Amino acid sequence: MSKFAVNGRSAIEQGLQACPICTCISEFKVYPDHCPVCRNTISVRKKNSLQLTWALIITAAILLIPANLFPITILLKNGTENPDTIFSGISSLIKTGMPGIAIIVFFASFVVPILKILILTLISLSIHFKWNLSTTKQLYAHKAIDFIGKWSVLDLFVISIMSAVFNKGVLLSVYPGTGASAFTLVIITTLFATRTFDTRLIWDTTNNG
Amino acid sequence: MKTIICRHCDMVSKIPFISRKHVAKCSRCNSTVYKNTKFNPPAMLALCLTALFICYPAFILPLISLHMLKITEGTALIDGPLMFLHSDPIVAITVFFCAVVAPVLLLLSIAYSSLCIMINHYPIYLPKVFKLTRALIHWSMLDVYMLSILVSISKLLHYADLYVGIGFYFFVALLLVDMTIIANYSNDYYWKLFHQRNHEHHNQLKVNC
Ligand SMILES: [Zn+2]
Ligand SMILES: [Zn+2]
Repeated sequence: MSKFAVNGRSAIEQGLQACPICTCISEFKVYPDHCPVCRNTISVRKKNSLQLTWALIITAAILLIPANLFPITILLKNGTENPDTIFSGISSLIKTGMPGIAIIVFFASFVVPILKILILTLISLSIHFKWNLSTTKQLYAHKAIDFIGKWSVLDLFVISIMSAVFNKGVLLSVYPGTGASAFTLVIITTLFATRTFDTRLIWDTTNNG
Repeated sequence: MKTIICRHCDMVSKIPFISRKHVAKCSRCNSTVYKNTKFNPPAMLALCLTALFICYPAFILPLISLHMLKITEGTALIDGPLMFLHSDPIVAITVFFCAVVAPVLLLLSIAYSSLCIMINHYPIYLPKVFKLTRALIHWSMLDVYMLSILVSISKLLHYADLYVGIGFYFFVALLLVDMTIIANYSNDYYWKLFHQRNHEHHNQLKVNC
């Protein structure tokens, strides 16, 4: 087998696939659905990668609206409710003299989710319409959103810490608003969308085109 | 020589023997295609067990103590998600999963696979454990939680006298051990041993490992 694998050419051209778990190389005509070595399910490309990615990014884009419109936290102070959306939370951070924290929250809660949706949309469109964008730049963009993706959970953790700290407080209490659930779903769907997207498709279209 | 298919771009690369300090990079997209671990399985197991022992105090003991109206109230990591489990289950479950469940399961699965390699025991479901480990790495978010603690502390300084709790120091220790484990985790060593043991059988299967 190894004598057939040629250096410097893609595996799909040579009829080969690698197992994602044990990295063993086999012919996809001989083993179409499972790895012969570790018995793990295997496919040449992630199944329905583009369709799943589209479904998840469209869901995330729709959920972004309630996530930004509805309050993400509610501060109960002296019996009155003070709701805060993502944006009003950031602006009150700037007003109270915490621009550094405001920038961190702005990136984690606003820039990162939108950036993930935009980049995945761009790469998926570029594959669908066979645009001649730089393959390595598309991969680096995907790696970047894969790396920064989890940092958008930051605000959820902050809400959880703040709520717990003020839990038994008489004067103050903080709890998540309706926007928080929508925001959580935005994060989960974008995290899954990044994982289901198969970056090898970037090269498949440019080679066949 | 070892033949490797890049999982990012599908390029076939033949790489020579790689020493422990080096990694092999893909010729087309520059992604790391082969990584040796600095730690042998016993060291990895010891690190995982250490981390698992620190998990308990890090999650249960107070991270932040707040002094308000002559009452000092401590807040532990698990207090937040437990508090709004009924009012906002989506937020609570996500926070609990990313901060507690995923990190613990990840440590358990790495500890278990290291133990299997150590004692030369290869159960049939072990590839599933490797698959689980790969998936969990993306959901274990202790580093994000660390930044969230710092953001929360800066926000809380406006409201009350604040003390860092004993749980915080355990959490920092846990984060350091956890990051060392993730940075050095590689299952290539395990598969190398596995293929050496089953070399003849794999040749019959017409696979290249
Ligand atoms: Zn396999
Ligand atoms: Zn590559």
